[in-house]
Amino acid sequence: MNIFKFFLSLSLTIVMLLLMDPRSFYGISFHEWAGLIIGIFFILHKILDWGWIKKVTLGFFRKSTGRARFNYALDVLLLAGLILMILSGIPIARTIDFSWFKLGGSPMFWRVMHTSSSLITLVLFGIHLGLHWNWVVQRFNFKRIRNGEEN
Amino acid sequence: MVKKISCLIISAAIITAGYFALGKLNYWERSVRIFSMNNTDQRFEGRGRGGFERPEGFRERSGRQVMRELPDSIRARFEAEGRRPMIRDRNIPDSLRRQFRQDGVERIDRGSFEGRTRDGGDRGRGGFSGGKKINLMNVVWFLAVFASFTVITVYLDKAYCLIKKRRNGKVNIR
Repeated sequence: MNIFKFFLSLSLTIVMLLLMDPRSFYGISFHEWAGLIIGIFFILHKILDWGWIKKVTLGFFRKSTGRARFNYALDVLLLAGLILMILSGIPIARTIDFSWFKLGGSPMFWRVMHTSSSLITLVLFGIHLGLHWNWVVQRFNFKRIRNGEEN
Repeated sequence: MVKKISCLIISAAIITAGYFALGKLNYWERSVRIFSMNNTDQRFEGRGRGGFERPEGFRERSGRQVMRELPDSIRARFEAEGRRPMIRDRNIPDSLRRQFRQDGVERIDRGSFEGRTRDGGDRGRGGFSGGKKINLMNVVWFLAVFASFTVITVYLDKAYCLIKKRRNGKVNIR
């Protein structure tokens, strides 16, 4: 399970970086489709940590450590950032027809919102990875994983 | 010891690259634009394509200045039509058109994805080539920013854990 989580997180990171510049990788159509799909994989990433989310949510003000609270708050901000990115991408989409999805506001408003939220979310992703760096390093210790010493 | 020193050198290199990437991508200004939405919306009003800021004076250059530089006969024709000359106008002399094309190339060479010209293939709204083009230069800069924040967080976290360990005699690990 940890290996799956590791490769899922790695894929999310790579795709997120490729999405940062719409022109860099296979143009705007990749940007839009991958931007939509990444949301599903982000939810999957969170589902795999559902036990921790449940535990911290229930004991946020009583049992949880300061570190867990900080991680939780960061995850909430990441979720908000991702929702904002996807939501603001919908009115300015060019290859996918979202004309049925009326959000109002000028395209410029949504464009600035899309750019700013993605840049802020990338920084939050960096901080998120930094806080889980020990977990990432442990994934590279394949011998111990094979022997079942890691859970 | 050697491992620790090499880790420190790599970390310093990543943070330095991240610092340069922040400047190159104009990261902070574009990040905080979300918080000054009213001003931004007015600034971008009517600019349409691309959604990103063009260099100051671009509009003036493509309008009034070009008008001044045009031969009298062509200027009279534009005035009669009640409009300003655009780059696409074929009646502009070749020398001026070439000058604009050079300006366009300069903007693209800066590596940013802001405000490319139509002559160069991409120009914001509707300007995406749509081809199978891979140019990961900007992605590398974004990676540098991402990695630098990761490295900073790792070291801050280590420092925090160390301080906490010294205070309490144990480290809280998630």
